[in-house]
Amino acid sequence: MARMKFICDAERCIECNGCVTACKNEHEVPWGVNRRRVVTVNDGLVGQEKSISVACMHCSDAPCMAVCPVDCFYRTDEGVVLHDKDICIGCGYCSYACPFGAPQFPSNGAFGLRGKMDKCTFCAGGPEENGSKAEFDKYGRNRLAEGKLPACAEMCSTKALLGGDGDTVADIFRSRVLRRGKGSEVWGWGTAYGNLPNPKPIPAPEKKS
Amino acid sequence: MVRASCILQLALGNVGKSGGGTNIFRGHDNVQGATDVGPNPDSLPAYYGLATGSWKHWCAVWGVDYEWVKKQYASQEMMEKSGATVSRWVDAVLEKNELIDQDNNVKAMVFWGHAPNSQTRGLDMKKAFDKLDLLVVIDPYPSATAAMAAMKVDGQELNPNRAVYLLPAATQFETSGSVTASNRSLQWREKVIEPLFESRTDHMIMYQLAEKLGFQKELVARLKLVKGKGGMMEPETESMLEEINRGSWAIGYTGQSPTRLKAHMRNMHLFDVKTLRCKGGKDAVTGYDMTGDYFGLPWPCFGTPELKHPGTPNLYDNSKHVMDGGGNFRANFGVERDGVSLLAADGSHSLGADITTGYPEFDHILLKKLGWWDDLTDAEKKLAEGKNWKTDLSGGIQRVCMKVHGVHPFGNAKARAVVWNFPDPIPLHREPLYGTRPDLVAKYPTHDDKKGFWRMPTLYKSVQDKNVEQKLYEKFPIILTSGRLVEYEGGGEETRSNPWLAELQQENFVEINPKAANDRGIRNGEYVIVSTPTGARIKVRAMVTMRVAADTAFIPFHFSGWWQGKDMIDSYPEGAAPIVRGEAVNTATTYGYDSVTMMQETKTTICNIEKAAA
Repeated sequence: MARMKFICDAERCIECNGCVTACKNEHEVPWGVNRRRVVTVNDGLVGQEKSISVACMHCSDAPCMAVCPVDCFYRTDEGVVLHDKDICIGCGYCSYACPFGAPQFPSNGAFGLRGKMDKCTFCAGGPEENGSKAEFDKYGRNRLAEGKLPACAEMCSTKALLGGDGDTVADIFRSRVLRRGKGSEVWGWGTAYGNLPNPKPIPAPEKKS
Repeated sequence: MVRASCILQLALGNVGKSGGGTNIFRGHDNVQGATDVGPNPDSLPAYYGLATGSWKHWCAVWGVDYEWVKKQYASQEMMEKSGATVSRWVDAVLEKNELIDQDNNVKAMVFWGHAPNSQTRGLDMKKAFDKLDLLVVIDPYPSATAAMAAMKVDGQELNPNRAVYLLPAATQFETSGSVTASNRSLQWREKVIEPLFESRTDHMIMYQLAEKLGFQKELVARLKLVKGKGGMMEPETESMLEEINRGSWAIGYTGQSPTRLKAHMRNMHLFDVKTLRCKGGKDAVTGYDMTGDYFGLPWPCFGTPELKHPGTPNLYDNSKHVMDGGGNFRANFGVERDGVSLLAADGSHSLGADITTGYPEFDHILLKKLGWWDDLTDAEKKLAEGKNWKTDLSGGIQRVCMKVHGVHPFGNAKARAVVWNFPDPIPLHREPLYGTRPDLVAKYPTHDDKKGFWRMPTLYKSVQDKNVEQKLYEKFPIILTSGRLVEYEGGGEETRSNPWLAELQQENFVEINPKAANDRGIRNGEYVIVSTPTGARIKVRAMVTMRVAADTAFIPFHFSGWWQGKDMIDSYPEGAAPIVRGEAVNTATTYGYDSVTMMQETKTTICNIEKAAA
């Protein structure tokens, strides 16, 4: 089974925001909720400017999962960290714990009903039936269930952002580094995945009806 | 800059090579395609110009009588005279009649998918809007045009009889047709949805306009009509491309039939992503064999579609045979100048050519002289008699040149770096009309003023001298430039109406260097007033950044909907205003035009920036 990961190659990102737009459009994420964002450092400094596209990295030892007081998080058998909005109480602990600023807390709109947390799902939906309307309304499209990779990485015009099986995307990145002889630093990779073995799946919490 | 870059690439030997060349980045979808079919006021489609012969060629292609077309013009002189450029429409309306090179001033404007805020001199433009008799806006969005025309400016006279029409146009997703990218390759675009609301396709609008004006039969003489929206008739997009194919010999827009392009679209996977070439394979639907084709048949794709020219992925590449996408420099400037041959030197030719030295462009006479006339079929001979490679509607001259003899129909000559018919035969630095460096103006002055240039009086030296004399650079010490953002396109009316994009850039801003900002007490994110010598005062957010130097500021041009500090939302038709509105930088830009193309000066003017009063 593949272990899904994101890599963003800072040597290639051109800050076009195509990933952000792809995400917004794919999941109809309301204004003010940013599942993915492009961050630029050293803006305007010639030769030093770098951009990176950031979203939930689906960490191996996910801090959000560790701090959630109601255990709304779960992990799919492909290593994707998801959560159940019916259980989330919108406390915001995950937002403090996350090193990537992934959890979003909108004040209104379809995703933000009663202030529930929203974040990148690696285009893998949520606990509802795959491809159902309920799933779309709460979590957006489930592309993985359709055999597709995340829309952001698929849309990336320079292929700076790669999303897919961790081994495959790491191989692509490695061969790039070899070829260009620089830019070997994978931003966020250590924080998200460290040297940890691939995590075991954790089933979605049971629904209390 | 553009010409200097091309000359540099030529000198470096980087032209005519894979990975080389001077491919320019264009700003919008299908700009190349639009240019190719002739919206410019100095040419018929495919760069044929406006000469009598060009008109006769296209009349034959369109299937209309040349004399009938001529009758539609006030005179043959007007028919063959370059028109005013879109960059000067404001002056075509406002300028004193005796100073312009046509009988009447412009009184009606049709804005067809065009954004006024992408054009300079906004203050003057508003005056022109208010003087028009007729304004038509054809656009998916009512656009800044409608709002600019509707807004009231204190103390400005409005033509009480002005009529304004807004015609909703369909987007590219609501119709089909070919589009051309800047590598000159064509793609076929399929319709995704039916035209929404009251919108109609551009070609339906054009056909219906021709109906009202009484020449619809001539407009579509050789086109197939099909049912479009609501059962109304419109020209079929396939047959429009076929008409382009039948006439555009000069640039090799002739081989890209809808059938071939659609086969390419269905079989993208058969094309190599690096060379763009099809290694082999047949289209399952039509049986068309794509072997050897370059994706999208980049022009020139000479000859008829049946000739199966593969398209030209790199211009002037003489390492390949002409039937393999190869070529050489064009014999376009005569054969000799000042006693020196302009044709290619001995041994310089495309791979496998029968003629191994320079040669002029081909016509029926040259073909006969070379003894190649009988390579034409009888049917081809009939159409090729008296014609050249650009006007032979049989495509026979092109076929015989390329397929039989491996030579280029447009001749084989040297590239030209010295353009003797331009004001500056070799690109020369000249200071802009509005600048901050009088010392440089003394060293690199601009051109003399021109009369009747694209029908307009065009000022250079008198403006520059006056600006230096008045020491404008003291009042406006910062160079102001403008340009694009990735989030928005063109005037931005469509993209600023898209919530996903609008969220990313919610307000217009001026990039200002920390030194310039600090000296003026301006902090990042504050409102500032940018003023220019036209008297314009626009209100934008300050973005304090090292992106610009201390003497320069930058403002993106995609915004509209604010007018000198005021939101114009009430001037838009109800519910039609874009989500994000902002000050248009071109409200503040100044006079200045390119001495060849009449392109407006959007990149250099001068301004002052001050903190906005709270």
